[in-house]
Amino acid sequence: MLDEPFRWMEAVSTRHSYIREKLNKGQPVLGVPYNEGSLLVGFAPQPGKVYEIYDRIAFGALGHPADVERMRMTLLEMAHLEGFNRSASDVNLLRLLQFGIAPALKQNFEEVQRAPYLIQLLLAEIDPSGAPAFYRLNYDGYWETFPNGVAIAGDATVMDWISEEIGKTDFANMTLQQALKEALRLWEAGRKHSAELNDDHEEDESVPLSLKDAFGKWNLEAAVLSRTTPRKALFRRLGKDEIENVRAEAMK
Amino acid sequence: MSERIQPNRATGDFLELLEQSGYRWSRPIEGAGASLSPIPSGTTVLAFHYADGVLMAGDRRATAGNAIMYERCDKVIPVDDHSLMAIAGVPATAFEMARVMSHNFEFYRRSQLQPMSAEGKVRALSRLLKDNVGMALQGVGAVSPIFTTYDHQNKQALIYFYDMLGAEFQIRTHTTTGSGSPIIRGVMEHEDLWGVKPLAQRSRNEAALFAVRLLKTASLFDSATGQARPEDQIYPTIATVDADGYHFFEEQEIATLFPEAMKRGQ
Repeated sequence: MLDEPFRWMEAVSTRHSYIREKLNKGQPVLGVPYNEGSLLVGFAPQPGKVYEIYDRIAFGALGHPADVERMRMTLLEMAHLEGFNRSASDVNLLRLLQFGIAPALKQNFEEVQRAPYLIQLLLAEIDPSGAPAFYRLNYDGYWETFPNGVAIAGDATVMDWISEEIGKTDFANMTLQQALKEALRLWEAGRKHSAELNDDHEEDESVPLSLKDAFGKWNLEAAVLSRTTPRKALFRRLGKDEIENVRAEAMK
Repeated sequence: MSERIQPNRATGDFLELLEQSGYRWSRPIEGAGASLSPIPSGTTVLAFHYADGVLMAGDRRATAGNAIMYERCDKVIPVDDHSLMAIAGVPATAFEMARVMSHNFEFYRRSQLQPMSAEGKVRALSRLLKDNVGMALQGVGAVSPIFTTYDHQNKQALIYFYDMLGAEFQIRTHTTTGSGSPIIRGVMEHEDLWGVKPLAQRSRNEAALFAVRLLKTASLFDSATGQARPEDQIYPTIATVDADGYHFFEEQEIATLFPEAMKRGQ
């Protein structure tokens, strides 16, 4: 039945709406540059938003935890095999995306009898010259690149709104503190924006509306790829005290 | 890179991943046996506990037979942020082991979201040595390493010495390996027991001075251990491991340390 073109297209479009519905509650992850590298930040009820992939590559995700985990392991394995067989300097996020993970995701998505991946990914890299790059990868293998930062979110309007705001803000010249504060401000504004849009619909009570709420209920996960570290691996999770600082500021 | 996404294994074992992706460990050379002339491997590397952690040092010479091939070989190599490996033996195998270990630890840390335990790191090298026994028995690829790492759980720096079959021995005070090691083993023991103070109580500077002298002594008696050559800016490699990780002595620092070490006294 699915071999008829129309049936197949119908199946694919059902699949799109099924995944979008499943991802709808996925909380945003923001990827922004700052004056010493890149920052990835997001709130979640449980840990699982931001990870290290390789020396200069970080990973942010939302979606089904098992799928996030599988994508993370796939990327880790690809990056480490490349780094071992050749050299760490041959590991390049664009190539991992273009030749590895994006085609695999697309193939999975189009095999309509198989369970689809319920994920959205944000990937960040600091290239050897020190320039940050951000990639947004969709569940169907479609990806885009953003030099000035981008966001992912289950709700497409929120995602686009925050991404646009990120593009308008001069994150690249901010310190880590400022960039983190500004990213969180955008998170909150995005949240309010979505609440206004959904005013006539029922609003999900379990999702915090303000930053203060979010800090009370959820964990903030934040990590940087820092050009200034003396180590080979640029990834660093922000420590408890750094998170506590922004929390205190947000609570004011 | 595979088209199909692999099922999630998540063992965190990089060696397993390598084998799955087609990497083959060196197999014993069939029938080579005694016909292969042994590849000589001259070196002196040493490690001992000092006041802040452990210090590791090595000479810089690589030899093949009685020919000096290279005078700037680094025999003390970083494996991860808190571990160093000093290599004695066939460089090809030794460097490969260090590389495999380094990737193994990083892969484990990233995939399992926690650093590998010090014990796990110590065992990892043991396994590599065991895999290499076949080659070592035939006179090619024998490696005798020293491994130092900082154990965050027990808050202490560790030194491990290995035999060629992969047995690991924790060293409480000092150890040395390589062709120059018999010459300085007694000196280390003597200095630890009857020197001005035990090695474990010496400061960073005192420890480094002692290491330079040990390597000088080894080079006087062992032709395969390189001498420092200040005129060519060739000095021994010295590094320490403590709670903050490993630190190599800068060339400039050793350049000022070296003449001081060559004087009598202290």
